[in-house]
Amino acid sequence: MFIVTIGATTSRYTTIIREMNIFFSGDIVVVAQGSIVVQAFPISGGNLPEDMVDEVKRIEGVRTAVPMLVFFGYGLEDAIQLVPTNISIGIPPERWEILAGSTPLKPDGRWPSANSSAKEVTVGPSLADQHNLALGSTIRIKNYNLTIVGILDTPSTTLARVIIMPLRLAQCVYFLTDSPWINMMVVEPEEENMEKEVVENIEANITGVKALTADERNEIIAPLLSDIETWNLGMRGMLFFLSMILVTTVAIMNVSERRRDFATLGALGASRKSIFRMVITETILIGLFGGLFGILAGTIATLFLASIYTRIPLTLFFQGLFGVVSPIFMVEILASTLIVSCVAGIIPAISAMNANISEVLRSEY
Amino acid sequence: MIVRTLELTRIYRLGSSCIRAVNKVNLEVDKANLVTIVGPSGSGKTTLLNLIGLNDQPTFGKVFINEEDTSLLAEEERRKIRLQNIGFVFQTFNLLPTLTALENVELPMALASVSQEAQRRRAVQLLETVELASRLQHRPKELSTGEMQRVAIARALANSPPLILADEPTGELDSGTGSEIIKLLFDLCRKQKTAVIVATHDEKMLEFADITYRIHDGSIIQD
Repeated sequence: MFIVTIGATTSRYTTIIREMNIFFSGDIVVVAQGSIVVQAFPISGGNLPEDMVDEVKRIEGVRTAVPMLVFFGYGLEDAIQLVPTNISIGIPPERWEILAGSTPLKPDGRWPSANSSAKEVTVGPSLADQHNLALGSTIRIKNYNLTIVGILDTPSTTLARVIIMPLRLAQCVYFLTDSPWINMMVVEPEEENMEKEVVENIEANITGVKALTADERNEIIAPLLSDIETWNLGMRGMLFFLSMILVTTVAIMNVSERRRDFATLGALGASRKSIFRMVITETILIGLFGGLFGILAGTIATLFLASIYTRIPLTLFFQGLFGVVSPIFMVEILASTLIVSCVAGIIPAISAMNANISEVLRSEY
Repeated sequence: MIVRTLELTRIYRLGSSCIRAVNKVNLEVDKANLVTIVGPSGSGKTTLLNLIGLNDQPTFGKVFINEEDTSLLAEEERRKIRLQNIGFVFQTFNLLPTLTALENVELPMALASVSQEAQRRRAVQLLETVELASRLQHRPKELSTGEMQRVAIARALANSPPLILADEPTGELDSGTGSEIIKLLFDLCRKQKTAVIVATHDEKMLEFADITYRIHDGSIIQD
């Protein structure tokens, strides 16, 4: 159960982090010096003046630069939550594709109007499901009532929880004025394989910014992901070891409680091999049913944890059960449990097989 | 001869001292003989039965089953002899608690790879013989002690062995039930021409036996 919960929870978050780097692949992300960037997006740090985009566009090797304003939200309500539940992204209306690519919209939806006073947004499907939002519904962010005009139709974990709006509207919402500030820009190099050169040019010509290629963004997060995975592996290894001791103990107790039964079987003519097989089969069955129960309990615990962290209703997680705990992970855990049970059953099986029939029968009188 | 022992001796070592539990026993049991070995507690009855039943190895001496010297056999071959030639009836019945009466009787036949259908037929027939036709699907905890010992007798006869070893079969029973059980065991063995060796401290059993041996400090003498 603990293995499933720990494994599924950590692998879900590492998957989300990895997936975030799919965005702006081949492009350069420019943020204020000191910003903390997780994959493609700044999660904290300073802002940049919007007119810096024009400066960047003039730099050699730059084809175009798109200003963006990104905020990680912790709920559409005011409640404090442990992990972000939505990402508000302001993008110039003519450049929606830089984030969403060719992601379609659900029927009758459209992208927000370029006119920021219309206060229109397009949201991800998971966010819409969670808050029961439909086309025409309104959401409230920082005293602004925003109307939903489109819902993305995507399996992407990140896009599933975005609120996309025109850059001007995002500036009004988050800076309470249409002041020309942004917190990142996406720079497209003129040619492929020019990212490093363009990064050097940007950092040489503009002070106070950090430019990152996709590889550099990966490198920033790689040690963290590696640490998480090592920790995850260590925890799983330790839990497997503990479960092996537990299954061995249960099997030894099981055998010692039935020493007389095994001795009787031996007296009746059961072979040592068949007694060995009997005990191993029993421990494998214990492992099988224990493993199935553990996977079930672990999956439910994972869904509960995810629901508590994100304040997303549990029912929505149940609908996407296999997205949270993958079937392959479940099969891996079950297979590992069976192997552990098999190994753990060896000592008790040998003990049952080698029981001295006459001594055991005599001692029971 | 079904069983013959030659200078059969079993010595247990307890620290620096040696206990001669069975001492130079020479015993012969022929087909269909009903034999009792009588002696007080600790006289070596159970040890002798375990040696004859090939559940234990003698320190010295030999056990011949059907004139085959078992001292030269490997454990697997001794197991086969136990399975085909010897039935056991224990003082505490030793029925497997998770199996029904019927399944307990089928067990030795399953170990001998008898077909499922034949196992079922024979087990039902044996349980009818011991008057437990109405208790086929009962588990041991649902049976009285007398009924449990009847199931154990049926189990011992399952593979039609030429020899049955019964170690204090009435030890857990009241005297009335004990007499019934021993009579039932001896009657069945007479009908099936099966030899029986009963180890007991109950003198009342002697009246049923063809041959009686007395055992004291591991040595036996014929009555």
